[in-house]
Amino acid sequence: MAERPQPLQARDKLAFLLSLVPWLMDHDGAKVSEAAEHFGMTPQQIREAVELIAVSGVPGETDAYQHGDLFDINWDAFEERDEIVITNLVAIDDSPRFSAREAAALIAGLQYLSALPENADRGAIASLMSKLSRGASAAPSQVGVEGAATAGGIDTVAPDPLAPTLALIRESVERGVQLELDYQNSQGQRERRRVDPLRVESIDTDWYLRGWCHLREAVRTFRLDRISNAIITEQPIEHRASDSDVRLPDVLFEPSPDDLEVTIEVVPSAMPLLTDYIPDGATTVEHDGRIRTTLRVSHYHGLKRLIASMPGVATVVAPPSARAAVEAWARAGVARYR
Amino acid sequence: MSSSPVSTSSAASRVPVEERLFSLVLALLATESGLTKNEILSTVQGYRQKFRAGGDNANLERQFERDKDDIRDLGVPLETIDSPGDVGNNQTLRYRIPRGAYELPADIRFSSDETTLLNLAAMVWREGSLSGESRRALLKLRSLGVAADEPTLGYAPRVRLRDAAFEPLSSALEKHLIVRFPYLKPGEDHAREREVIPLALVQYQGRWHLSAEEVEGEGARKTYLLRRIVGPVEFGKAAPARPGDHAAAALAGLDEVWERGVAEVDVVCDSDAATRLSNRRGTERLAPETDGREARLRLHYVDLEILADELAGFGPEVLVVSPHELRDAVIARLERTVRDHG
Repeated sequence: MAERPQPLQARDKLAFLLSLVPWLMDHDGAKVSEAAEHFGMTPQQIREAVELIAVSGVPGETDAYQHGDLFDINWDAFEERDEIVITNLVAIDDSPRFSAREAAALIAGLQYLSALPENADRGAIASLMSKLSRGASAAPSQVGVEGAATAGGIDTVAPDPLAPTLALIRESVERGVQLELDYQNSQGQRERRRVDPLRVESIDTDWYLRGWCHLREAVRTFRLDRISNAIITEQPIEHRASDSDVRLPDVLFEPSPDDLEVTIEVVPSAMPLLTDYIPDGATTVEHDGRIRTTLRVSHYHGLKRLIASMPGVATVVAPPSARAAVEAWARAGVARYR
Repeated sequence: MSSSPVSTSSAASRVPVEERLFSLVLALLATESGLTKNEILSTVQGYRQKFRAGGDNANLERQFERDKDDIRDLGVPLETIDSPGDVGNNQTLRYRIPRGAYELPADIRFSSDETTLLNLAAMVWREGSLSGESRRALLKLRSLGVAADEPTLGYAPRVRLRDAAFEPLSSALEKHLIVRFPYLKPGEDHAREREVIPLALVQYQGRWHLSAEEVEGEGARKTYLLRRIVGPVEFGKAAPARPGDHAAAALAGLDEVWERGVAEVDVVCDSDAATRLSNRRGTERLAPETDGREARLRLHYVDLEILADELAGFGPEVLVVSPHELRDAVIARLERTVRDHG
């Protein structure tokens, strides 16, 4: 996986120990580095786990953890060559089952992914889900996400209009070729762009393309529902995710020095909806049951739409120009009905 | 160094948690007939160092209770066997982990394609408890030794879990508990307490819903939007069993509501509203108006209040034609925004 190895909690560590033993049984003499790569851990995490396994075992006949009741490894190979050779095995023969919640998390994740064009083979997804269910120690908990694999009456459900664009982008990412597309910004202006596609991202039902924009000469995020007339070119991409001048941050909305800061008041329960726009370290104060904080936006066009979609929930307090932009937007909306 | 030292009792308190849990699993897997609590506490690594023969081991027993929960949470089937002729006696109760229920059945193996897909499925959960569950599921998957056939770098899918009610509700589902929570229905001034048997948590069109059965009255099945649960979720007593695929039923039910919910709106051509609303699943473009500056769209929706919020955000780019409740709701929202910012 792309993500960095993280420090583990005790439960993670136990899951890891129970998973590592069967893998080591099948990979006699594996290098520490191979195990680290396979499990997405650091070599140090692997060494510590192996050292723990090597001194663990069962109380045995004598209740005294005698030599034969313990795992053992070839310590010379381990210490001199970083090789893991188990010389005595105890109690464990095979990989553990998934817990009900683990299976449920993967099943719900698969349901979500079934909306992707390359996962159109619903039979394959369904068989994978059933394997997860059978491989769990109890019936997976009832968590579901809307996706093509979930709808009972699949044929009656309208197809996702973004599917063709998504398929096209996926193909270009896979082939490493440039895309040409029309992109319309939130003000309705449309421009033809040439893009090195780098990653397809999503949050719930919203899909995005991250790519190097040749027009702007920088990494940009494109909403799929604002893309039209996309075509795949034969030009290989010029910028890659691994390049030093290309950064693909984990957050979708990245602060820029040109951002405008506005002060808002928001009801506490709606705070999670705005976390993407609230800069790290922003001060928040409680004020009459509302939270006053700072929001970062690239321009007021986005702000007025965001605030108008949260009526009574979030209010702009300052600066006056931001309040005026929101008011004018809503007033123009009301005028349509007069 | 060819053999390994076992921690001595002088290092008693320094046996790490994972070593104690690992030793407990090994000991219980290795026993056919099971071990009594006393046997476990006095012999298993991590407990035995703290065990006082003939003394008070209350702390250690509590530790064992917590460890049992942790191990079961990982999907390890830790079972208890009453000793014949002494049913219900805690002292003679025996604990064990039956191998067949512990091990992944031999016919359950995953191809590298499937492994790729499962890696991606796990990536979907990057917040909340499901991210931990996915992480542990992947460790177990890797135990089988299959590597993914392609890196998953080209994708970063994500489902959000930002409703405060999600964690307690998912835990109540897992433990089969009745729950109570204050629920604020749109149009009502005050939240009302609901007491329900939770059946499933589903995300539909980006929003989490709870499907549940009311405890009072006829036991009607209802769907609650997690965002409208405005206070703490409290656990009640054990819920009666309700077998069935409730997640699928809830999603199918929401799909029906979505089919029935129809709104017609006029959008300014080439505006953000026109682009985004046209690209929604199920949107139909009706004949454009004569001047060609606006187009009429027919949209489907589940929740009128949520759609009204979204449409209000588009300001003058959208004019609601029908239903009139939606029209009124959008006007009221826009007026509120004008008042709040005037």
